[in-house]
Amino acid sequence: MRVWVYLWCCVAAMSLMVACGHKNIIVLVPDPDGSVGQVSVSNDAGTVDMNRANQSTSVRDRTTAPAAPAELKPEQVQELFGRVLSNVPPPPIHFFLYFKSDSVQLLPASVKLLPEIVDTIQQRAPTRISVVGHSDTRGDKAYNLDLSTRRATAVKQQLVDRGVDDTVMDVSSHGEENPLVKTADNVANTKNRRVEVIVR
Amino acid sequence: MRLTIVNLFCLALILIGPGASAAADAFVGVVKTLEGVAVITRNGETIALGTGMEIQRADVVKTDRNGCVGLVFSDDTRISMGPNTELAVNDYLFEPVEKKLSFVLRLIRGTVSFLSGQIAKLSPESVQLVMPAATIGVRGTHVLIKVD
Repeated sequence: MRVWVYLWCCVAAMSLMVACGHKNIIVLVPDPDGSVGQVSVSNDAGTVDMNRANQSTSVRDRTTAPAAPAELKPEQVQELFGRVLSNVPPPPIHFFLYFKSDSVQLLPASVKLLPEIVDTIQQRAPTRISVVGHSDTRGDKAYNLDLSTRRATAVKQQLVDRGVDDTVMDVSSHGEENPLVKTADNVANTKNRRVEVIVR
Repeated sequence: MRLTIVNLFCLALILIGPGASAAADAFVGVVKTLEGVAVITRNGETIALGTGMEIQRADVVKTDRNGCVGLVFSDDTRISMGPNTELAVNDYLFEPVEKKLSFVLRLIRGTVSFLSGQIAKLSPESVQLVMPAATIGVRGTHVLIKVD
């Protein structure tokens, strides 16, 4: 009997804490590829780092430090976050197109990809598409930026010619600042010399 | 509390004022999925949410008690919002050429799944999820957050 009273008091105290506290809960879960990243949770009173799957912390207010991380069971994660986890939008699809050297002309293998890109855009509607030019780090930065902009514009025109609505497409250029393969400066790299078409 | 919100709003107006025209066409995000009812508060106006609609910097997205929303941003970040959730896009900049990278989200209430994208890869310190009781730094990962 005494045990029951004790248990009841615990439950009552816990629900009271939850009700008054506007509790903030943070859970680190694996990425879709299975790897686990890292988060730090901080406020005026302290910082907690988490780097393992299903680690969780809670915080009551800015003047109370985040609780020490505790591992949640998968079913607890589901109970708290099942609804949002089942509604994560699918990942954007990235198509990579390659060009003849110093030219806005696509290589034959990349021309063959265009119908597949158009099909994907139709399947993903309503969507937004980004056409982003990238260069390798060889040569002048400004020249690379201009060339990758011209390449992206050429790809957009090819997609418009195939019936894609140009109001859902954005053209931009990242020059040599967002490489697929990290290299030192002034290095030619065929994988970095690309236009990415991102269909969301 | 209300004073703080007004202050933040004024600060946001000052900060985005001069830069707004330059970044006007830069695409930020798109509404990919919608269940139930959700709205966006933008420049003081409330707009009903629909799929395909664009998300802009300083938007506040709100779901009702049956609402669920899926957002995809230009840097590949994917966000899923649960019911009774209010989420503000305080800042978003994805301009690698100018090295302008920033993603600040504020969860006012509700549940959110956040899967980071290229901004977190290129500049982890530029990504912040602000909650009432703490701020989360995200180093390329999948994080779930909830404000009761």
